[in-house]
Amino acid sequence: MKIKKKEIQSEIFTGSMADISFLLIIYFMVSSAFSATRGLDFALPEDTQTPEIKQEDSIDVHVLRGGAIEVDGTGLALEGLLPYVAEKLKQNPDKPVILRTDPDATYGDMIRVFDELRQAPDKIDMEIKTISIPTRREIENLWSMLGIQ
Amino acid sequence: MALIRGRDRKSGAQIFTTSMADIVFLLIVFFILTYKVEVDRTTMDLPETWIRIKVPEKAAVISISPPDANPPLTIRVSTGEEMSLPVSTDEEVVTFASTEVAQNPNKEFIVKADENVPYERVDAVLDALKQSKVKYIFLLSEQKTVQ
Repeated sequence: MKIKKKEIQSEIFTGSMADISFLLIIYFMVSSAFSATRGLDFALPEDTQTPEIKQEDSIDVHVLRGGAIEVDGTGLALEGLLPYVAEKLKQNPDKPVILRTDPDATYGDMIRVFDELRQAPDKIDMEIKTISIPTRREIENLWSMLGIQ
Repeated sequence: MALIRGRDRKSGAQIFTTSMADIVFLLIVFFILTYKVEVDRTTMDLPETWIRIKVPEKAAVISISPPDANPPLTIRVSTGEEMSLPVSTDEEVVTFASTEVAQNPNKEFIVKADENVPYERVDAVLDALKQSKVKYIFLLSEQKTVQ
């Protein structure tokens, strides 16, 4: 009598692969965050090329508390900022813009004005070559140098 | 008799799952490729802007939490490769930034701040970065949309 030999088939067990895959998917979905990766850039002047900007040679934009702006000491709506700047740049294309912000204003207020200035090439077809954002310490240092309290 | 037996034979309804593994692996590959570790997970409302430049990868991050967060207006710093850590004084920001600039003079810095943060705090951070001779700063923002 012949005894039939059972053939053992070698197989890789793939039944749990789907479970592992789904676990991996869930891990990546939960741990990957859709982060903001864009923003407004600005380069700070190097020590060797720091230009001395006098207030009268520049366009002084002051962001007040609440988001209102004063340009060269006169209140102006945000929409009126670039047309004003355009007029000044026609006289002197190198004219820098100084963007000062009241300490009690919000960061959002300052960014709104900075974004408006950065849109100059699109809106007024002119480029603002220098937008300076001095810090309070720099402004105070300048004032003390000029003897202004 | 044969007919009755035939009627008993049920055709089992099945969901075709063979291609599921392929789809699952495609999804895994997608997530692996797009996976990016966010070094700072402070939740905040970023200011919205029209102009948005892509920030460089591995730039150092300085975040300022919103005024209504707990604790409020916390400054956190990250080298861009490690998770952010809180700092308690502006001097610590100067020390952190100076160390980074000493290692790489062209190191870029990202300032991530809530739109409702008083500008005074942002000014202090910008001042710390200027003192540390940082050359490139990016102010993180969301895309502004027409309302």
